Amino acid sequence: MSVPRIRLVLALAAVTAFGVGACAPSSSSGLDATSSAGSDTVDDVTIALPGSLSTLDVAQEAGSLNYQIATITSEGLLGVNADGELVPALAEAWSQPDATTYVFSIRQDAKFTDGTPVTVDDILFSIDLARDPDRSPSTSIYWPEGLTVEQTGDWEITFTLAEANVAFAWTPTAVGGLWVTSRSFYENAGTYGSSADLILGTGAYEVVEFQPDSHVTFRAVDTWWGGTPDVKEIDVEFIPDENTRLLAQQSGETDISLGISLDQSEHWDSIAGSSVEYVSDRSYVGLTFDASVEPFDDIHVRKAVAHALDRESIVSTVLHGKGEVATGLSSPAQLGSSIGEDKARELLSSLTTFDFDLTAAKAELAQSKVPNGFDLELTYPNSGPQLGQAALTLADNLSELGINLEVTEVPIEEWISKVGTGDYGLYYMWYLPTTGDPGEIPGWLLNPGNPAQYENDEVFSHMASSSTDLNDLTRAESIIAANEIAQADVAYAPAWWGVSATAFTDNLAPQNYTAYFFMTPWAASLTSIG
Amino acid sequence: MRYLLTRLGQAVGVLLALSFLVFSLLYLAPGDLAKNLIGTRKATPEALAAISQKYHLDEPFFAQYWRWLQGVLHGDFGDSIRSGVPVADVLGQRIPVTISLTVIAFAFAVGIGIPLGFIAAHRIGSLTDRTIVGVALVGVSAPSFALALVFLYLFSVMLDWFPVYGMGDGFWDQMWHLVLPSLAIAVGTAAMIIKVTRTSVAREVGQDYVMFATSRGIGRQRIAGLYMKNAAIPIITSSGLILASLFGSTVLIETTFALPGIGQLLADSITFKDVPVVQAVTMLVAVVIVTAMFLVDLAAAVLNPALRTHSRSQEVIAS
Repeated sequence: MSVPRIRLVLALAAVTAFGVGACAPSSSSGLDATSSAGSDTVDDVTIALPGSLSTLDVAQEAGSLNYQIATITSEGLLGVNADGELVPALAEAWSQPDATTYVFSIRQDAKFTDGTPVTVDDILFSIDLARDPDRSPSTSIYWPEGLTVEQTGDWEITFTLAEANVAFAWTPTAVGGLWVTSRSFYENAGTYGSSADLILGTGAYEVVEFQPDSHVTFRAVDTWWGGTPDVKEIDVEFIPDENTRLLAQQSGETDISLGISLDQSEHWDSIAGSSVEYVSDRSYVGLTFDASVEPFDDIHVRKAVAHALDRESIVSTVLHGKGEVATGLSSPAQLGSSIGEDKARELLSSLTTFDFDLTAAKAELAQSKVPNGFDLELTYPNSGPQLGQAALTLADNLSELGINLEVTEVPIEEWISKVGTGDYGLYYMWYLPTTGDPGEIPGWLLNPGNPAQYENDEVFSHMASSSTDLNDLTRAESIIAANEIAQADVAYAPAWWGVSATAFTDNLAPQNYTAYFFMTPWAASLTSIG
Repeated sequence: MRYLLTRLGQAVGVLLALSFLVFSLLYLAPGDLAKNLIGTRKATPEALAAISQKYHLDEPFFAQYWRWLQGVLHGDFGDSIRSGVPVADVLGQRIPVTISLTVIAFAFAVGIGIPLGFIAAHRIGSLTDRTIVGVALVGVSAPSFALALVFLYLFSVMLDWFPVYGMGDGFWDQMWHLVLPSLAIAVGTAAMIIKVTRTSVAREVGQDYVMFATSRGIGRQRIAGLYMKNAAIPIITSSGLILASLFGSTVLIETTFALPGIGQLLADSITFKDVPVVQAVTMLVAVVIVTAMFLVDLAAAVLNPALRTHSRSQEVIAS
């Protein structure tokens, strides 16, 4: 039985099982709060993760879940706040005297979770580690070529870039490419991040146990410069099956469940003693056209397909109204991290988009060199079933134009390997940014080497300007200008900006729950309201 | 001895061929390990080249296989590309889970399957027989992961008897966590054992020697001992193979119950193209199956002297 078939059967079984879910017993939270009156302390919280980790070392395995877990215990020089702004972490202050120089003042009272003090040498070691492609294969690419790092004071480190890059400030963060650890701990560890050696960070929690593909347990420490968290212990359980996660929350075995499937949102919403929070995950989903592949070298073909993409319908039906129709590459929350979401929305609303219009699509195709249609394939990753459902609606619309779109599910690893290889004229792009840098997604999709193999000197010029512009507003305007040209050329057809759904037991209150929540030291912000 | 050496040689040949086959299939499978490590982010040619060089992906196919084989011959299965941890350590963590799951499931399957098969064989055509056969048919047909969800809903959510997921802490808690997943696997397996037991016992019960023994007034228990010994050969043979195949087929159950066993590890490693882990898990499962087949053959020979005689006569002819 093929994997898609298995999932289909599983889904049917789940529907059958949960059809009687309305009469299920109400859950009792697994959250264990101390009983002393007036205390907000919580003994332990159990969190369900929609996937598994094979290592705690994010530099080795760098999926989005790895980042979310790493922020519980590790920090970089800078951090991110709930608004997506860079804030002090191990560096208590920083400055940028010129476009290529960053100076960080290191916090002198910082400690690792085992109580040992953080030294400048530990930080320099961690930076070397993060830049080493052998020891950090997943994240060394974040660090630019030609960068020099040196200690310029007792508690000061200076980075000098070979060329200006405004986004670099995000690199030495725990959501970018730096997780500060102890030199001696790392060098004494056989395999850093494994269950035998664990990891050592400077955050609010220490790792006490890790079993790959099973769970990781954290315990609060009193060594964090940011204070002592209310939750004493956090058990993160890896539960890849979405039905099992639902049952676990229903039975009260878990307190927080991440990555809830929007298809199951009704079941999650109905769990007694628990509520679901929906918030932008800043992700971008859209179509990528490779103009070097026939017949997509014809702009009329690209426009025809773009007009056939019914984004409103996809958001309302496939995403159950939980996403947002995308007008550009960066979501308002992402573009607005430095200029505010309102201004970002204003800029994004000015971009050229192709509304759903089958008449216009037919007219475009009639002007093309393939007026009678053609066959093509669109692959989507197995971890994104919503992409598959959206592709089927597109296929349905395209069939009216005579275009036969074959929709194929492939393992996410295979999908990643195909992106931008020139094998197809039409790709999906599904990108969840790890940093709050407004230029993270455009920096990939609009610069040379982009997955559309799109080359436009004017676009490249705008992006180059954006990478050196220290003014947040004009930088964002440059990004939008580049985005506008590429969209008018139909290199990309944005579809939607994603939403993440997280279930919280009613006894827990996540403070400042925003699109950046899981990029902040989020576990330290959980408090009991029971 | 000669028989043992022959079987050992065959086993090594099978493992070698299998390792090459799996390595080839993984090599040909779509996907790019270097891109898997980087994700959807922009991957510069320099970064891709660095990763390819580290994992020797830039070498020709045969050179890569030979590198792996040489390592294995020296007892080094390499490091997991996904986690960076030695493969031996990765397997060491997962094997106990899968072994426990398999053994408990097998115990359930045998404990349910053999008695029910025996009862059905003695009441062929009766309502009891038809009921047992009907239940077995449903058991064989029901996918284990669908049963798992039903069990979870009934016994974990509604009745709150068992935990929903995970391994638990301490021996007894872990055993408790494994009851439902084991049952979910055991249902289908028990159904197969019911059918094999029913068929083989019914065949023996109908043999002339049973009728002759009955007519001579020999006790029922002694007669049962006689035909059960003969009926045991196909039951043991099939059960041994079922046990071995169970070990390698736990992926769906391990995923459903969030159990960190080798099934889940294999599935993840295949999609990631984590070659060292896939090779090691494949070899492990193959060794288990080859060993089980060997033990099954030995058990059958012990139970049936005719097989030993046949084997000896073959050796005489061969010499």
